[in-house]
Amino acid sequence: MSAEHRAGPGPSSYSGLGTMLRIVWRTRRRGILIWSLGLAATMAFTAAAVAGLYDTPAKIQSYADAVTAGNALKAINGHVEGINSLGGVIQDEFGFLASFLMPLLGISLVAGSTRREEESGRLEALLAGRISRRDPVVSALLVAAAAIAATSLLFALALIAVGVPVSGSVLYAVALGALALVFAGLAAVLAQLTLHSRGVYAGSLIVLALSYVLRGVGDVTETWWTWLSPLGWQEKTAPFAGQRWWVLLIPLVVVGLLSLVAVRLAARRDLGSALVALGPGPATARPGLRRTFGLAAWIHRPTMLGWLAGGVLLTTMLGALSRQLVDAIEGNPAMGEALGTTGQDPVLAVIAMTQLYLAVIATGYVVQAVGVLRGEEADGRLETRLAGTLSRGRWLAAHAGVVLLGLALVVGGSTLVFAGTAALSLGDGADTGQIIGSGLAYLPAELVLAGLALAVYGLRPRWFPIAWAGYAAVAFIAFLGPGLNFRSAVMDLAPTTHVGNPPVGSVAVVDLVTLSVLALLLGVVGFWAFRRRGVPQA
Amino acid sequence: MTDRPTDHRSDTPVIHAAGLVKAFGDFHALDGLDLSVTRGEVHGFLGPNGAGKSTTIRILLGLLRATGGRVELFGEDPWREAARLHARLAYVAGDVALWPGLTGGQCLDILGSTHGAVDEKRRDELVERFDLDPTKRVRDYSKGNRQKVALVAALAAEAELLILDEPTSGLDPLMEQAFQECIRERRDAGATILLSSHIMAEVEALADRVSIIRRGQRVTTGTLAELRRHTRTHVHAVTDAPPSLDTLAGLEDVATERLDGRVDSRFTVAADDLDDVVGRLHAARIQTLTVTPPSLDALFLRTYGVTLDESEAAEPEAAR
Repeated sequence: MSAEHRAGPGPSSYSGLGTMLRIVWRTRRRGILIWSLGLAATMAFTAAAVAGLYDTPAKIQSYADAVTAGNALKAINGHVEGINSLGGVIQDEFGFLASFLMPLLGISLVAGSTRREEESGRLEALLAGRISRRDPVVSALLVAAAAIAATSLLFALALIAVGVPVSGSVLYAVALGALALVFAGLAAVLAQLTLHSRGVYAGSLIVLALSYVLRGVGDVTETWWTWLSPLGWQEKTAPFAGQRWWVLLIPLVVVGLLSLVAVRLAARRDLGSALVALGPGPATARPGLRRTFGLAAWIHRPTMLGWLAGGVLLTTMLGALSRQLVDAIEGNPAMGEALGTTGQDPVLAVIAMTQLYLAVIATGYVVQAVGVLRGEEADGRLETRLAGTLSRGRWLAAHAGVVLLGLALVVGGSTLVFAGTAALSLGDGADTGQIIGSGLAYLPAELVLAGLALAVYGLRPRWFPIAWAGYAAVAFIAFLGPGLNFRSAVMDLAPTTHVGNPPVGSVAVVDLVTLSVLALLLGVVGFWAFRRRGVPQA
Repeated sequence: MTDRPTDHRSDTPVIHAAGLVKAFGDFHALDGLDLSVTRGEVHGFLGPNGAGKSTTIRILLGLLRATGGRVELFGEDPWREAARLHARLAYVAGDVALWPGLTGGQCLDILGSTHGAVDEKRRDELVERFDLDPTKRVRDYSKGNRQKVALVAALAAEAELLILDEPTSGLDPLMEQAFQECIRERRDAGATILLSSHIMAEVEALADRVSIIRRGQRVTTGTLAELRRHTRTHVHAVTDAPPSLDTLAGLEDVATERLDGRVDSRFTVAADDLDDVVGRLHAARIQTLTVTPPSLDALFLRTYGVTLDESEAAEPEAAR
């Protein structure tokens, strides 16, 4: 006690970083736990399912033969070295999800505790205390690194548990962690450059999309392009073949440099400032913006454009690769099995896979778009809005209308791009009708998620994570279900399953009507509850 | 009630609440609140943080539904008729939330689009008066400037009723001055104003009547003069001869001392006894006289001081 007292708070005793670390952990721990445990569970589930499904060397070999036939799947899941091993199959199955979820883990951990805090003004209160200007970004990075390390550890344990060799498991887990770290570092730099946490996400996701394309092109053409992509660095560690541990140095050096830049920028710039800022704007609102629908459209535009970009990216890639995918399936029927479309016309199998993935993007859009309403309310703008002659019903109807229109644009735009690129790749547009038809068939299932989100928002905005859990279930089942032969009770949880896998499977009109009615009922509950409850509820 | 002709409304209070209760779970934000605001007055709505001012206003706006009691806005139900009644009022929130990506001017137009009618000329005048740059983006505005946007929008609206929830907490003294002028102009034009505040000087300068609330209940209401009648005036007098104050029962806090052959007296007196006191001081030949009327601050502190003492005294007993 007395010794502590003697040390005293002199200029050399520096407790700001420790305080800031505790603050970041305290405010972010729930999100960190959800992310880490959710990702680890996904990995554990994938590993267990693969181990159960491919339980003999012969089965693993046939899987390897199937997915390495042609280049198409390489472009999507990555080029997996040592795919004729259990670890390799898991890496291939987890590859597509990992290439988005790991970077998103890093981005969200850092964006949430840097620019968002600054934007809200909370950081100002902290910096007035004994916290130095660089402490927030340093602690955001340290907490992110710790969370990523914990996630990697869980990955390794899950892999070892199903019988994957220890060294390969560890290297694969560390390589995935390094991938997440690179994007955490990138987000930390962007948080210094942009004014809005939305800008951090937008910038990071653009880099992620570029990384995905670079890795895809590099893997297909077998050139050095792969080495330009953070996703490529993860892949090139080859955990289940050559085990190139030294490749880990590349992401680690990049993370070091990015962190250094972020900390330097944070120490030099003014609080609340950014390198990218907007000048003055119009002094009056154009007539469109004064209308309820027009303002709602303006509010939802960034969300819609973001998901539309994701959809167009996906359909461009798969459309452009459709010739190769078809050839691969024709050359090896086992590949159709891996895609969950055994013994079907290969062209239809490619369309079915693409439309299912697009449905996952579209449901993500509707859930996030309804979540925007929660943001409007939590920030106090809904109160401002409803203090005038605008009724609750009209406000919600305008926003619901904009979300529906946005859904039509995301699905319609992406589907048309798919039709175009697939026609170019396949040499004719004979399948355009099938492509558009199956895209439209998924709309009722997507609307069920929109209805769920609306119902939750109307009843209790605080319950909104339920809507995201619903989305996670849809994504999980869509991406992993067909390949891993999920039980039908699990598959049936996702509304997308009930569409009937068009154009491979047959679409029952009754099912679409049932889905539509369910969506409508959920939407009605949302409207009914929203008109009855108090505003604002955070 | 709905078939009452709407133009025959001068005798209906603009705002009428009786026994208003709002419970959030076990917590009673409002616990039997009464409030009455008549046409054409500036009504000060006073209370410390957490007293229930904003909750009351949200109920009046139909954003929250009362758990119990009666509330009428223009003689109608604010929950059921929210959007229609809002055509006749304008509102400024305590913490003004706008769209960070839009400019102040765009927000003005958007707010105006949900007001009954907007006087465009007055709007432009107000932008000048409040020294507002409408081309600046909301995210670059200070709190005071965001508040100015909401104030300009509300003052430019052709509204019968202005509901202002601590509208000047971010304004500098110059803007505060402009705000007070604008409120008087609107009042002179016939508007009714409900001004929630804890800035005493502002309420004192503007309000015709005041309601003071605490813990979800109204503690007192009346004109400032009425409220002052219940409080004591401070008197400081220097007289040549000792004033004959001993026989007067209404004096308190009396302190007298002799200074250079004169008599220095300090005391407090109830408003009703003031005339008598001045007569007696005059008889003793006044040299200097300072009479300080009770400020709203003193009123407020006294209202809260008393009840606070009571509750503090009561709590340990209740704990036993």
